[in-house]
Amino acid sequence: MAENKKYWRGISELENPELTQTLSEQEFPSQIPADEFLGNEDNLDRTHTSRRDFLKYMGFSTAAATLAACESPVYESLPYVVGPEEIIPGIANYYASSYYDGHDYASILIKTREGRPIKIENNKEAALNGGANTRVHASVLNLYDSTRLQKPVVKGQESTWSALDQGVAEGLKAAEAAGKQVVVLTSSVLSPSQKALIKKFGAAYSNFRHVSFDPISYSQKLDAWQEATGKRALPLYNFANANAIVSVGADFLGDWIGQSVSSDYAQNRKPGKDMSRHLQFEAGMSLTGSNADKRYKVKASQYGAVLVNIYNEIASAKGMTTMSGSDIMKAEAKAAAKELLAAGKNGLIVCGGNSKANEHLCIAINAMLSNTETTLSYDNRSYFRQGDEKAMQALIADMKAGKVGAVISHNLNPAYILSGNADFAEAYKKVACSVAVTQKYDETAQISTYVAAEHHYCESWGDFAPADGHYSLQQPTIKPLFSTRQFEVSLMAWAGISGTYHDFIKGNWTSILGGNDWSQALHDGVFVKSSAVADEMAADAEMEAGVSVDVASAAATALAMAKKAPAMEINFTQMTGMGVGTIANNPWLLEFPDPISRVSWDNYLSVAAADAAEMGLKNWNESNGALNGSTVNITVNGKVLENVPVFIQPGQTIGTASLAVGYGRYGAGEVADKVGVNAFALMGMDHQAAAEISAVADSKHEFACIQLAHTMMGRDIVKEVNLDTYLNEDAQNGHDGWNEPPIFETYKGPLVGDDVNLWDDFDHETGHMWNMSIDLNLCNGCGACVIACHAENNVPVVGKDEMRKHRDMHWLRIDRYYSSDTTEDTAEAEGLSGIDMYANMEVPSESPEVFFQPVMCQHCNHAPCETVCPVAATSHSAEGTNHMTYNRCIGTRYCANNCPYKVRRFNWFQYHDNTVGMFKENYAMNDDLGRMVLNPDVTVRSRGVMEKCSMCIQRTQLGKLEAKKRGEKLKDGQVQTACQSACDTGAIVFGDVNDKDSKVFALKQDKRMYHLLGSVGTQPSVFYQVKVRNTKA
Amino acid sequence: MIKRTTLRLLSPALLVLMMVLSSLGLSAQEIQGDAANGKSLFNSQCAACHKLDKKVVGPALGDVTQRRDLEWLTAWIKNNQELRESGDADAIAIFEEYNGSVMPAFPGLSDQDVMDILTYTIEGSKPKEPTNGGDGTTVVVAEEDNSTLLYILGALLLFMVVLLARVKNTLKSVQGEATTSMLEDANVFTRTALNNPKVVTVLTIVVAIVFFQQLYVNLMAVNVEEGYQPHQPIKFSHKLHAGDNQIDCNYCHSGARKSKHSNIPSANVCMNCHMYIQEGPKYGTEEISKIYAAVGFNPETGSYIEDYEQKPIKWVRIHKLPDLAYFNHAQHVSAGQVECQACHGPIEEMEEVYQYSPLTMGWCINCHRETKVQVETNDYYEEMHAKLKEKYGADADITVEMIGGLECGKCHY
Repeated sequence: MAENKKYWRGISELENPELTQTLSEQEFPSQIPADEFLGNEDNLDRTHTSRRDFLKYMGFSTAAATLAACESPVYESLPYVVGPEEIIPGIANYYASSYYDGHDYASILIKTREGRPIKIENNKEAALNGGANTRVHASVLNLYDSTRLQKPVVKGQESTWSALDQGVAEGLKAAEAAGKQVVVLTSSVLSPSQKALIKKFGAAYSNFRHVSFDPISYSQKLDAWQEATGKRALPLYNFANANAIVSVGADFLGDWIGQSVSSDYAQNRKPGKDMSRHLQFEAGMSLTGSNADKRYKVKASQYGAVLVNIYNEIASAKGMTTMSGSDIMKAEAKAAAKELLAAGKNGLIVCGGNSKANEHLCIAINAMLSNTETTLSYDNRSYFRQGDEKAMQALIADMKAGKVGAVISHNLNPAYILSGNADFAEAYKKVACSVAVTQKYDETAQISTYVAAEHHYCESWGDFAPADGHYSLQQPTIKPLFSTRQFEVSLMAWAGISGTYHDFIKGNWTSILGGNDWSQALHDGVFVKSSAVADEMAADAEMEAGVSVDVASAAATALAMAKKAPAMEINFTQMTGMGVGTIANNPWLLEFPDPISRVSWDNYLSVAAADAAEMGLKNWNESNGALNGSTVNITVNGKVLENVPVFIQPGQTIGTASLAVGYGRYGAGEVADKVGVNAFALMGMDHQAAAEISAVADSKHEFACIQLAHTMMGRDIVKEVNLDTYLNEDAQNGHDGWNEPPIFETYKGPLVGDDVNLWDDFDHETGHMWNMSIDLNLCNGCGACVIACHAENNVPVVGKDEMRKHRDMHWLRIDRYYSSDTTEDTAEAEGLSGIDMYANMEVPSESPEVFFQPVMCQHCNHAPCETVCPVAATSHSAEGTNHMTYNRCIGTRYCANNCPYKVRRFNWFQYHDNTVGMFKENYAMNDDLGRMVLNPDVTVRSRGVMEKCSMCIQRTQLGKLEAKKRGEKLKDGQVQTACQSACDTGAIVFGDVNDKDSKVFALKQDKRMYHLLGSVGTQPSVFYQVKVRNTKA
Repeated sequence: MIKRTTLRLLSPALLVLMMVLSSLGLSAQEIQGDAANGKSLFNSQCAACHKLDKKVVGPALGDVTQRRDLEWLTAWIKNNQELRESGDADAIAIFEEYNGSVMPAFPGLSDQDVMDILTYTIEGSKPKEPTNGGDGTTVVVAEEDNSTLLYILGALLLFMVVLLARVKNTLKSVQGEATTSMLEDANVFTRTALNNPKVVTVLTIVVAIVFFQQLYVNLMAVNVEEGYQPHQPIKFSHKLHAGDNQIDCNYCHSGARKSKHSNIPSANVCMNCHMYIQEGPKYGTEEISKIYAAVGFNPETGSYIEDYEQKPIKWVRIHKLPDLAYFNHAQHVSAGQVECQACHGPIEEMEEVYQYSPLTMGWCINCHRETKVQVETNDYYEEMHAKLKEKYGADADITVEMIGGLECGKCHY
């Protein structure tokens, strides 16, 4: 019967019928409550100010204010009294330097303007770690963090350096007198001078210890190398020579052992006959796994079992003794072994995690491949990870027993890193003289007696020996902003060593340089010594010849471990934007959407869809597209972490969950504190643990996830082809080539996009024609370009609430797509069609292939945005770029609505000079100190204005000007966009296509070239190269 | 550079000279030359290190002829090193007294030139006679002022009006009509006019036109600071430096060629000259001492004060574009070869700088439409020029507009 039918006016009414009723009752409030805001009515009647008077005053004051506003303010212009020779106002200076924060290391260039560091660039001359990651690119902003320690702190009170030095001296003396230990606790020390200084400092004490500890421990891996080769150091890997790469849980493109291998890895990812093949076994979806040709899901505790099977396959092929194996991933291991055997000495196997047995198996497999000195080097070792967890545990025990008189910690935040070990904080408080050398009043500083406020690295001198033969220098690029002191200078003060640390380094480097020029080394930032072993860094014993590994016991340990694999296992990972949280208080990094999940301002527990369904966990979107998720309580070894948000992650191994460390801070600073949950609280020394996960009933966590569609739903947004097809078939043959351009049916017959034209074309032959090529094979999604763009173009930070509403301001985003199990072909086979087919295509596969696609303004030559702007605020340039004139924009947003690529960004609020509520989080634009990071060549946009990628027009204009000043032709490569120069894999190439010798011209002719959404006929200046996956049938 | 060292040498030498030779009492009669030529030579060759009445780098020269004989002076001035090497005790003593600072040789000066300079040292140090229009003083010519004439004319008109009114009243009284005062006349005239709708309409239209025209002009002038001439903390004269002394603009504003900013010179650049030139022609030491106060220089001892807390000079900014417009000096000065005066006006004639151009977008655009690009001489444009010739004809002038100089993004990003 019709009258029984109930109609809901919306989903919200269905979910909450009372709400609609309450609202409808209050639709017309009986009386307007004027009295409430007008005050007492009687008083109001008795006043003498009539309405007319009010209007008169109002009119007068408006007129007066208008008149007064006509007067321009007087600006003062203060030149230097004595101008520094090297500074010309308006011209940037670049200084070679190095970054090291105890976790990340990179060789960098620091761009300064008028003496202010404003941007980090890759040091392309560096042979090791010349490609900075997102964190390093963003680190310049931390210099201007006003929540940095500005003075030394003694017993919780701001103090002076003399008071602190006196206190520390007394503390050290007392420790020595009582016969207690004096301990320097650091992360891995990469600096030879710092190492020498610590040694010198320690020589004065009878009971001195230097303890190194890594935030993510690789101690057992190091032990494995010590047992195998006699030297406690990891080898240098050379991915440039690797044709077959098997990674068992190693996220070497994301966060692994500190060596940056992405540019080497990319060298062999260019499609061709010798393209490398990369197989990945892993538990959670990592950046590396998402780039693999083939990815297998396996629990982290079973990595060892996989390695045993691979070992057995290779050993039997080589006629060597095999071990007893297991059935875990047997077929997959066989496939991996086949690849490695085929590659021979160009094969490489690496493993993740902190397991001695697994590393021993890797060493043994690599030895069988005889790949020494091709893909990994025993002679040249890296020192990024030196931590020793046994020493750390001994220290905690000693502190607890009251045997430690003084602890000086540096480059490590042990109270946070070890927050899973309840003993640490308790033991630390027993130390009479605890000194934290740190930039922030962090978790450790809060429980330390003395806090020696430290310089930012842009204010410090330093040197590094990250690997044998590789040296680098760090130089200050700005005077210290606060009353801070770098660690080494403090150490010199406490050890009574006179002179400056600069001179100390110089003295220390005479032997390193061996007659080479110091100034040249400082200029280059790096110094490479051929065939030299860094004696300064060598831990102890001489290296043994060859390797000796007890494979049998390693295999037994690995299999035992695999057998014990828990039903639910948690993996402790790092997010690309956060790492271990050393520079957490950085709005750029917090707002950076994770490349895999596209979630910003959060960490979360990634679980497989099957597990989520079983536990009743879900992710759902609100009507405005904002993502919500259930929350869970996690128990690991009796420690509980409550209300952890859940994110359902395609590709997550069933029976595992991943949680990133680095969040959940309470001493990082205003912006980072209380963002996310602290995974360190659950973590021990291993990178995985057995966990119990229980859903919190009726829970809801609000995410800021900026991607709604996770699959391409059958469209060719990212074009992909497998290597065989690429090599053997035509790209374009008019009907079924693998890179067919879209054909338009016209009255003239079928035509390609360039020939179908409603508009007059610009003259793009004269002068420059800027184009950009993005190689989807080389892009690994790392996001360094996103942060580089942020820094270069004064892109605002909008905060979590706005991100949640998809109001992100990133000019450059990296879209991530998963493959779906349903394709048009499978749907046809299953008899699905129409809406059912598309609904299924929307669901990502449980074991998806992953695609990354950087998207910025495509600079269409027939731009849909230009035709709809009512005020001509966006217009086209003869040089092929699309100009956006902010001062002309009136904010109709027609352009954004008409943009097929959705790359235009609207300033919904004033994000600069705005300290209200959430906006003050963006200290880069909202306090005087933070504003020092702004690029003075780019306008800061205001509210109500549209903005977008300008193809770094400030850089193209500067490049042209420099060429004009020199009076010569602009050469290819002299102008680089910020994203291009940040990309260490070379995925982004920018240049002038009218220059026939340019790289970008060659790439435009490449058979892999295609335009994004070519069917809309926008003729973009940005084009992509088809992704080629080395998959075999 | 040469000049500087020269003077440094001359001064110690002369001080000793003074002391040793003062007893000799060189008579002024021996020295008779052309004081005017002497003055110009002194200013160009000696003034960097010497003054007549004051010890600067070298000794004061006002009474040098009293201390030394002419022959010795001539020998010293022409080549003091030779004189010292010849073993002249006086010369060596002076050299040592002034800490071995070397005065350069002036072999180019003739004996007569030396005589002229010395004449000037005598003449120039005589107390000045209070005459006007002498050789050194300038006569200030008052600008012609027409206002008096206008006042006279105005008064005449007023007188005529009153006269006519009286004539009218006289005539009226002759005819026996009642006389009316001027005020009443005016009143009647206004009423008649205002009662006429045609007059009112015309008047309203005129008033409206004037009002809106003025409103438009004034609104368009908001933030246009053409003619803005603030007082500066130092009465620095571009006329003196860039005009009279012909100092190249780029000497002080060195950033203009290389950078987007044409920087205001830092005080150490001023000191390159003003270490020696301690007195100006107009304000004496008053203005120059402000530079010394900024950098911490003691003109008495000729040295910098140690541990001095330097104070920047707070110049008032005259030319200021809004942040939304990107302007690069190097682009215009180096690449475009545009003269500074094209935008800044006759700077070399300005006693106090004012904003010469409106610096509005229309003004920029006009120039970009008209200005020719240096396509012929700059190899950067080689290929582009070939293409442009095809497009616009071989003889066409290539303007900034033709190479995209009117595109929004060229200045707004």
